[in-house]
Amino acid sequence: MKTPFDTAGGTIALGLAVTLALYLLARCLVLGG
Amino acid sequence: MEQAIDFLLRWVHFFGGIVWIGHNYASVVQRPSFRPLRPEDLGDEQSPAYMALLGREHGTFRYAAVVTWLTGVGMLWQRGMLGDAMALNGYQTGIGIGFWIGTLMLANLWLVLWPHQKKVLGFVAAPLEERVRCARITFLSSRVNTMLSIPLLFFMAAGPHGAALFA
Repeated sequence: MKTPFDTAGGTIALGLAVTLALYLLARCLVLGG
Repeated sequence: MEQAIDFLLRWVHFFGGIVWIGHNYASVVQRPSFRPLRPEDLGDEQSPAYMALLGREHGTFRYAAVVTWLTGVGMLWQRGMLGDAMALNGYQTGIGIGFWIGTLMLANLWLVLWPHQKKVLGFVAAPLEERVRCARITFLSSRVNTMLSIPLLFFMAAGPHGAALFA
C-alpha cells in the first residue's frame, strides 16, 4: 500500500501539514486556556 | 550554577539531536523513495568487522536519541516546567507538544524500528521473506520520525523564541 512516506516529498509535505495543524491546536490551547 | 547546568543540558541536547536526526536525514538522502529489499542489498553478515560497524552505527544514533530525550526532559525539570509542559498548560503548550512528539519518536525508534531492524541487518536470524517484510516496517518507521522531526523542531524553536506565534 502506498503512503505519503514512500517519497521524500510526501514525507516532508505531511510534516509541514502536521506542523500547521499542531500549531493551530497549540494556539487555541494557549490563547483559549 | 543552575544556569550552567541548563546551558550544558541544552548543548548536549543539540548535540544528541543532530547525531540522531542527522542520521535519519542521511537515510532520506540515500533512499528518497521506497523500494523493496533485495538480496543484493544485504551486507556481508559473515564478516565480524562489517557487523561491528553496523552495530556501532545503529547503536550511536539509538543512544543519541536517549541522550537527546533525557537532556530535554532535564531542562524542563530543572526549570520546573515539566508538569505544565506535559499537561500542555498555558505558554508551556508549545514545548509540551515538542516533548510529546520527541517521546513518540524515541518510542518509535526503540520499540518499532529497532526490533525489526535487527532482523533486516542480520543481528537476529530470519528468512529472506521476513527480512523483506521487516524492511518495509523499518522504512515506514524511519520516515514517520523524519516527518515528526519537522513539527518537533518547530516547537523546539517556538518554545523559547516563538512568543509572537502565540500573541
